[in-house]
Amino acid sequence: MFMRILGKSIARRKQRVAIAIVAVVMGAAVASALLTTSMAMNDKMGEEFRKFGANIVVIPRSDTIEVGLPGMTFGSVTEQRYVDESDLWKIKEIANWSANVLGYAPLLYQVVEAGDASGGTQNVVLAGTYFEREVPEILDGAGNPWVTGMRRVAPFWDIRGGWPADGDLLGSIVGTAAAEALGLEIGSEYSVRYSDPETANATSGRFRVSGIVTTGGSEDSQIFVDMAAAQALSGRPGKVHSVQVSGLCTDCPAELIAAEIEASLPAVQAKSVKQLVFAENQIMMQLEQTMTLVTAVALGASALGVMTTMTTNVIERRKEIGLLKSIGADNGRIAALFLAEAAIIGLAGGAIGYGAGYGLAQYIGHSVFESSISLVPVVIPITMAISLGIALLASALPVRRATQVEPAAVLRGE
Amino acid sequence: MTNVVEMDGVTKEYGNGTRALSEVRLSLRQGDWTTIMGPSGSGKTTLLNIVGCLDSPTTGAVSVAGVDIAGLDQRGLTKFRRENVGWIFQQYHLVPYLTALENVMLAQLYSGTVDEQRAVEMLERVGMGHRLLHHPAQLSGGEQQRVCIARALVNEPALILADEPTGNLDQKTGKIVLDLLVRLRAEGHTIIVVTHNTGIAALGDRTVELMDGKIVLDLACERKGKEAI
Repeated sequence: MFMRILGKSIARRKQRVAIAIVAVVMGAAVASALLTTSMAMNDKMGEEFRKFGANIVVIPRSDTIEVGLPGMTFGSVTEQRYVDESDLWKIKEIANWSANVLGYAPLLYQVVEAGDASGGTQNVVLAGTYFEREVPEILDGAGNPWVTGMRRVAPFWDIRGGWPADGDLLGSIVGTAAAEALGLEIGSEYSVRYSDPETANATSGRFRVSGIVTTGGSEDSQIFVDMAAAQALSGRPGKVHSVQVSGLCTDCPAELIAAEIEASLPAVQAKSVKQLVFAENQIMMQLEQTMTLVTAVALGASALGVMTTMTTNVIERRKEIGLLKSIGADNGRIAALFLAEAAIIGLAGGAIGYGAGYGLAQYIGHSVFESSISLVPVVIPITMAISLGIALLASALPVRRATQVEPAAVLRGE
Repeated sequence: MTNVVEMDGVTKEYGNGTRALSEVRLSLRQGDWTTIMGPSGSGKTTLLNIVGCLDSPTTGAVSVAGVDIAGLDQRGLTKFRRENVGWIFQQYHLVPYLTALENVMLAQLYSGTVDEQRAVEMLERVGMGHRLLHHPAQLSGGEQQRVCIARALVNEPALILADEPTGNLDQKTGKIVLDLLVRLRAEGHTIIVVTHNTGIAALGDRTVELMDGKIVLDLACERKGKEAI
């Protein structure tokens, strides 16, 4: 009987109820759109930022030694140290945030002489790294070795040609400026010569250009070869200067990952790339602040719309309320009738609003981020709960007003 | 015969200082038809509202069906009203979007037992069995009032209170409604009717006249052989 009254009461005032639903739809749509955008973009932006390179750098811990005369300090020197290559897999095995370590690429730098196009030689930085290396210590869910390397850490590298295969000691990636200076093309072979600054012993290596990279950064003037080839050239087997780590930082600060890396690897310092993380956080914070503000305004407007409709509803139905009270309806029953109507308005508005919001999210995605926004299932119950909450909250005052109707007064026409 | 209503020293003052009832003392017997009369503003409806638990006295004691209702809070008054009082209004006050049957069932909803068959029986009893699924707007004034009576009766209340039950009806339909009330009285229902109509008063067992909130006349009438004028 209660449902029959509820249904007929709503059916009788279809237009008013529709207006209230539209009010909820507007708020729910904005909330849904912004929640979907925020959640989807959080992941997406983490991915986007990752494309720009590593956001954590691991370097060996070095003691600083003050030098000078008694009472006078001339400055400080640091002893050259290395990160042990055999420890690198531990980066992926940190305590709590290992899933957020998306990849790492070690680097071993050395300055080498390479023949240029004019027949002379030029000094150029040659870096050994992993292009795409299997890590046997780490297995994925299927039991296959986890794969890491520069291809994973720097997917944004614009490579002309291709990446050298893993273990290809001849292949190399040459920066676009270096290739131009050395007169190298894809497929060219070239020699380099490394002189040990301490022993003056020289070693030579021969490489082939697999790809030419353009990053717009320092990589454009460097040469990248397989780590083993670089270590052999400079006689530093198992040693690396630094490791670039790509950490997914949507749900944790990069500093946390860095701290865990420091705890896992002996004698290293891991630092987040502050500027990158700062920019990432700034954009996300600004986005979320704007979204929160817009959502709050939209939900406020929805609440006003529902409150207005419910107030009108109560005023129009004062006699009916008085009658219901005169035949025995207590305040709880009166409140239940109006709150049930508000709940239906909230849920209907929430459901329609979610759909509209998903469409709006697609529009925002395409117009602001130039990409589509994926469906985030958790937004559905959140939107429904927000819509229901707003409708019930906005009905609180009108319902209170309904419970205060004095039957004797309204039934005699006051 | 036991008294179903006992009022002793009942005074009702409204917030604006108006005294609607003043030291009213009244006892109504179970099964009687009592007619409350008096000019506008004499306190008739206030008295009815207090007996029907829609209002509370400012001072004085009121007992209905053996319960001291002056001491009940809003929740208690609502519960008592639901279980003991059936209202018949001059304006009928039917819910416009519900059918005749649903309007009767509405009273059952709040008493806790919805029995559609019983609601149908009540409507048949007042001669509305053929209009069960009609909405108030599709019914004449007399028909609406009969639905209102069926609604008042459906929970078997101890008291039936009627405020100008024929005030909005022409003489012919008014007679149908009054005949129904006469029949209810004959079946043993206790009825209190507020009216200006002396013809209606003649149908009752007792007439109480109010003036400025005080009882100025309390007259017992001959009961036998009465029918609506």
